[in-house]
Amino acid sequence: MRIIKLNNQIKKRFIFLLIIFACFSTSIFLISYSLKDQIAYFVEPTDLKSMEGIENRYLRVGGLVKTNSLKFLDGNWVFEVVDQNQNSVNVVFSKTLPNLVEENKGIIVEGKFIDNIFVAEIVLAKHDENYMPQSAIDKLKEEGKWRGN
Amino acid sequence: MFAITPNTLSNFMISVSRYVILLSIALISVSAFLIIFLENDYYQGVSFKIMFIHVPTAWLSLSIFLVMGISSIIGLIFKSPTAFTVARSLSPIGLIMSIIVLVTGSLWGNLTWGAYWVWDARLTSMLILAFIYLGHILLLYSFEHFQKADFAASILAIIGLVNLPIVKFSVDWWTTLHQESSVLRMGGPSMTNDYLITLFVSFFGIFMLTIFWFSNIFYIIVEKRKMERSILLND
Repeated sequence: MRIIKLNNQIKKRFIFLLIIFACFSTSIFLISYSLKDQIAYFVEPTDLKSMEGIENRYLRVGGLVKTNSLKFLDGNWVFEVVDQNQNSVNVVFSKTLPNLVEENKGIIVEGKFIDNIFVAEIVLAKHDENYMPQSAIDKLKEEGKWRGN
Repeated sequence: MFAITPNTLSNFMISVSRYVILLSIALISVSAFLIIFLENDYYQGVSFKIMFIHVPTAWLSLSIFLVMGISSIIGLIFKSPTAFTVARSLSPIGLIMSIIVLVTGSLWGNLTWGAYWVWDARLTSMLILAFIYLGHILLLYSFEHFQKADFAASILAIIGLVNLPIVKFSVDWWTTLHQESSVLRMGGPSMTNDYLITLFVSFFGIFMLTIFWFSNIFYIIVEKRKMERSILLND
């Protein structure tokens, strides 16, 4: 087997590449760190409490559709978006909901606060990372381990 | 390891490539059979089966870039033509893989989320990865001498390595519409074993196909250079 000596030329090239890589990764880190509020796709109802001037500002709020809150009233969908800290936002939506919007499932609403009610213009269903067939759920329910609805 | 010439590597890969493609066809047929007869997801219905193409190609497009970046580093530091040729032959495969990821993902997104495309961190960083692949290919073919092209393109590949952890961990670092990973996560995979086995069979099928494809592109590049060299010597 041939043994490669780490000569000066190779060392120089290695340091050159290391400097390039370090500079770029630092700059990308700094950019994404300072823009982290813009990169985040949505805010949770808990984050809204500490935000100022949310009235009439276009934003996205994400969370779960609260159980027993999804209703169809006067041609509008009315529901509450809740997060794990049990803070919630009342939402009104006047168009057709996506197929997979259900109670106790993830949702993202896009729109504005008008008189403390969130008037949504776009509603997206947020899928979680769980994939399982109905038979596996039936089995979990039999064992009493199922936590969903 | 650095004593391997492009010629020996290409001869070795061409000699094993028929077994690789047979294995790939077998694995892809088995996974197609499994995908057809799998029970649907309780919530998404039949549309979740897009995952068995989307997730393997996503893993591959990330790992192909990782291999490309590492071989570019080796190529630049040790002036190894083999490493440069590996990076050169991998980038079209990576571009195709990332396009498949974006297309299947947006079809699934329309069925599940209700939108083909949103500008969240995962989707945007994946699009940037596809553009880096495209830029890498454009750089490779915009120079008269391939040594210069390899130098320029490998710098891009090394810079592009910064994007890989952003694609992978974007769903953990920021809030995104895209869900978190289901397989490589704390507390084990969040899918049942029949789905997981199908996913891995499909992954290894596409992985073998990638290796076959790679060895063919590598062989073509090496043979083309040999031909050009012999023409130059005869003149």
